[in-house]
Amino acid sequence: MREYQTIFPFISANKRRYFLGIFALLFVDAANLLIPQIMRIFADWAQFGELTRDRIIWAAGVILLLGLMVAVGRYGWRVYIFGTARRLEYWLRDKLFKKYLSLDDQFFNHHRTGDLMAHVTNDVLMVRHSMGGGIIMIIDAVFMTLFTVIMMIYTVGLRTSLVALLALPFITIVVLAMSKPLHQRSREVQDTFSELSNEVQENISGINNIKAFGIEDRRSADFYEVNNKYQEKNMGMLRISVLFDPLIELISGISLVVFIIYGINRIREGSLTLGDFIAVLNYLRMMVWPLVAIGLVVNSFQRGIAAMGRINEILAVQPKVSEADSPTRIEQEDTQDRDSNPGLNIEFRDVWFRYEENLPWVLQGVSFELKDAQSLAILGRTGTGKSTVLNLLLRRYDVSSGQILINGTDIRDIAFKELYEKIAFVEQESFIFSRTIADNIAFSSDGNYDPERVRLAAEFSQVAGDIEAMPDQYDTWVGERGVTLSGGQKQRLAIARAYYQDSDLLVLDDSLSAVDTNTEREILDHLDEVQRGLIMVSQRVSTVQRADQILVLESGVISQRGNHKSLLQDTDGFYARLYQRQLLERKLGEESGEVTQHGSKQL
Amino acid sequence: MAQSSYKHLDETWQQDRRPDRKTLKRLYNYGIPYLKQFILVFILIFATIGMTLLQPRLIQLLIDNNISILVNPATSQAENSQALTGALQMGLLYLGTVVIAFLSSYGQAYLLQKTGQKILKTIRQSLYDHILKLPMTFFDSYPQGSLMTRVTNDTETINEMFTSVLSNSLRSFISLAGIIVIMFIMNVSLASYVLLLLPFVIIISVIFRRIIRKIYFAQRRALSIINTKLSENISGMRTIQVFHRQKQVGAEFDEVNAEHLRLSQKEVTYYATYRPFIETIRALGIAGLIWFGGRQYLDGIITFGVLYAFIDYIQRFFQPILELAETYNIIQSAMTSSHRIFQLFDQETEDEGGNVSVPVEGLKGKIEFKNVWFAYIEEEWVLQDVSFTVEPGEFVAFVGATGAGKSTIMHLLCRFYDINKGQIILDGTDIKEYNLRGLREAIGVVQQEVFLYSGSIIENISLNRPRVSKADARRAAEIVNADSFINNLPERYEEQVSERGSTLSAGQRQLLSFARTIAAKPSLLILDEATASIDTETELLIQDAINKMSSNRSMVAVAHRISTIADADKIIVMHRGRIAEQGTREELLDQDGLFNVLYKLQYEGY
Repeated sequence: MREYQTIFPFISANKRRYFLGIFALLFVDAANLLIPQIMRIFADWAQFGELTRDRIIWAAGVILLLGLMVAVGRYGWRVYIFGTARRLEYWLRDKLFKKYLSLDDQFFNHHRTGDLMAHVTNDVLMVRHSMGGGIIMIIDAVFMTLFTVIMMIYTVGLRTSLVALLALPFITIVVLAMSKPLHQRSREVQDTFSELSNEVQENISGINNIKAFGIEDRRSADFYEVNNKYQEKNMGMLRISVLFDPLIELISGISLVVFIIYGINRIREGSLTLGDFIAVLNYLRMMVWPLVAIGLVVNSFQRGIAAMGRINEILAVQPKVSEADSPTRIEQEDTQDRDSNPGLNIEFRDVWFRYEENLPWVLQGVSFELKDAQSLAILGRTGTGKSTVLNLLLRRYDVSSGQILINGTDIRDIAFKELYEKIAFVEQESFIFSRTIADNIAFSSDGNYDPERVRLAAEFSQVAGDIEAMPDQYDTWVGERGVTLSGGQKQRLAIARAYYQDSDLLVLDDSLSAVDTNTEREILDHLDEVQRGLIMVSQRVSTVQRADQILVLESGVISQRGNHKSLLQDTDGFYARLYQRQLLERKLGEESGEVTQHGSKQL
Repeated sequence: MAQSSYKHLDETWQQDRRPDRKTLKRLYNYGIPYLKQFILVFILIFATIGMTLLQPRLIQLLIDNNISILVNPATSQAENSQALTGALQMGLLYLGTVVIAFLSSYGQAYLLQKTGQKILKTIRQSLYDHILKLPMTFFDSYPQGSLMTRVTNDTETINEMFTSVLSNSLRSFISLAGIIVIMFIMNVSLASYVLLLLPFVIIISVIFRRIIRKIYFAQRRALSIINTKLSENISGMRTIQVFHRQKQVGAEFDEVNAEHLRLSQKEVTYYATYRPFIETIRALGIAGLIWFGGRQYLDGIITFGVLYAFIDYIQRFFQPILELAETYNIIQSAMTSSHRIFQLFDQETEDEGGNVSVPVEGLKGKIEFKNVWFAYIEEEWVLQDVSFTVEPGEFVAFVGATGAGKSTIMHLLCRFYDINKGQIILDGTDIKEYNLRGLREAIGVVQQEVFLYSGSIIENISLNRPRVSKADARRAAEIVNADSFINNLPERYEEQVSERGSTLSAGQRQLLSFARTIAAKPSLLILDEATASIDTETELLIQDAINKMSSNRSMVAVAHRISTIADADKIIVMHRGRIAEQGTREELLDQDGLFNVLYKLQYEGY
């Protein structure tokens, strides 16, 4: 139960609710326990001929009163206990999500989205169940069992009670015995379900392969096997689960019969009245649920504990990249005039980096400096560490050795808020959120965006024309993860988003790859005009050639540096060769023109 | 902006549910083959309820016929012992009902679940088979994730329809009817009194149901929006952090979460009101019964046992009504799922082609494109007026920039899509006239992306095709030079591979793909950028394989690598959906055209 420590603050904040809920529940239980007593008194009056009209009215009145008490009490515990469990669900979900927001790339690279979602949905639900239905089960199991037995002993004495109750504990035994294999088999069902999902997924993604080879029948047969297995696993579970209710009915029925036969003899002896008999029949029926609850509660809390454990694991994660306790402010001259913004001074000092201790170096002694709102470009093939440089600058990771300085301050001493306000980033794979176009562009605002600035940003990134052709223009709703947009549109939207942020430094991570050459040129022209620092990473010479400073990165090492002109001098160098090659490609591209845009339709 | 996002998602979610009567009918068609089982289930439900409803009646008889004698001090010894034996018999009879009820209810539940599982399996299988037969155009537009959901989760929901909905509603109706009948047999006036409560209960249930249903669905919707937000924000976490929007995104999530909480609280409150409401009516009923019945007992009209039994029955009377109300939610979601599934079933499957079958000895391999026009999306022409001929045994290569339409030509040859204008003729017959399956079997395609199925290497080559024996598969692997790397694997041909988590290199995968294609001895070979992702080491092996493969059949290839097409009899240069140049390599190199540029790119540069 130590796992539940996490929710102690919640419980103590909701003490009153839990207290009232449990009180209402006990109230209901008490009223329920009294009903058989009224029936007993009523039956006894009838048996001994003492029943009068007044007494009938009294009995009916008391039954009605008790009924109303049960109703009111039940309303109370449902609202207080179930309602509070829902609050707990909200509270935990919020806590988890806020935690996710604080974790770093390393964490998200090691956890699958599906699993992270499962914590927020399924695990939270399981905790909710244990703290809602689970509490009801504990109270009912303990108090109902105890008080029903007490009432029975009070009514008919110890011996008769024992005989009547003889068979009932088997209910708990059966429930306990069943819950384990049931849980295990339901896991098997879940596993087979994943197998089934994988089979479907595999085949749907390879559908053109299936069609090309005409192997639909074979794939269908394979699916049949999994499908069949799934059915069998399900039946394996159902064989037990469908036994649950009938078996409990059977046991409670048997205990009733045992009591009937025993009770008849006691009645004959005169030591049991008709009223006693009827009361015990009622009590026996009332005992069934608490005894089932004893069995279920174990299972419910077991699952709750497991779920809580998984949640705690997440909540305990400390991001490797963390904010300094007392951050230093970036020193910067205050200028009102944007045009004379001196920009940021970025310095990489002998930066070495690897993702983990036992992995090879990604960057080996990278040093460079960027100042005075100049532009810097990093060129290289895929996997040479270009994006890593940007990741380090954005503190997605911390350097293994060396230093990154912004205006002379170590990046690790700068507050996240300040860092990310100073740097506007355009990712390689632009992530677009499901909201309106304007909301996406003004992502860095607090919701009250300036429409004029949004439009300017869109124009800057050459996406304004596309947006204005859309039905609702800037209010057009973008589907989940931008599915309604083309790759190029997404990239340009991401550039607009970064431009809107109006930061001192703009960082582009191969962000023009899906944009056609003409548009790229226009965007680059715009980038030239803005007076702020610029760092861009690309595989294309055409993208980087205007930069004030160009770094060529090969296997994590800067192999060449200079500007376009100086780099072309070295005709055997990587830069010059790539330039030649891309010139040819460009020629080819110009001749094939716009067709490229439709290339995405390929299988 | 946040509330607008909630609303928007909310709307899209709502559009998805539109069940109707037809759906229900189609659904029940799946149950028809199991009519016998359903009848048996019905009988067993009947037996179970009969037995459980008999129980209060037995207690009544026990009280009236036996206990009343036993507790009466005026009865004789003989009467007493007779009553005792009778009571014991009654006890045994009661035991009998308990045991029969146990057997029949277990049998019923088991049989029903088993039948449900069978139906589920059938629906799932036929849905899956149907999907495999859908045309490529369908897969281009239908999201993969949704397709998955149809086959996996939606079918699961339907199962509920056949199991819990069917049995619960049957059970509820039968026990309701049974209780009413028994009560009328025992005492008409008391029974009429109890029946009087029914309209109240029904009216209250209907009203509450209406409200609760609305809230229930609103709450479910809110939950699904939470999930959507969650998955989006987890995937876009980097962007959120880089823009330092954690606070805002957190607040937005909180809003959705709070909305869900608000609806949950409403739901809890309504349920918390509904049940006690019904219980109050029940208490009212019991009190009234004591009052009415008690007076009738005093007047000697009914026995005490009857009064007892009535109190028992009135308690059972409310159960089925409560249960009927619960099933409604399940029906709703099952209907939504079925509707979606049937929509998928209504998608037309691929045209199976004409009735010309490919001759047993295979195609000769003469391909003619006559003024072919094609567009994936209307009016956006990918191929414009393309005409060319491939003679039997020829090796023709297509080159050009990305998006020039090369791969499209390959797709059209396999009839993945049908052309808009013009004609494609194979050995003198329009390809539409060929039986589709036969056509695709005769054409061997090596695709750019090699898809590995979970299974062994040999299975991945043979693909379990009946016309490909294991020996064929091995021979194919040898022909394409794949056997050397396969023999180096720990389990050789039995090595298990899968799409994810495979250790094979891109080149090795490509060799497997060649083997896979060649194993079925196609009479026409298509290479669709098959050599794009190959290291220099494998390149030689593949080059050799291609030479062997193309020696006795027509071959059409799209290739980036000039080396792949070095031996082509003819090279066709595609440009903006049209044929720009064609000729032999030498002829094309002599012109200062597109091919020249492509060629330089390949050999100069780096």
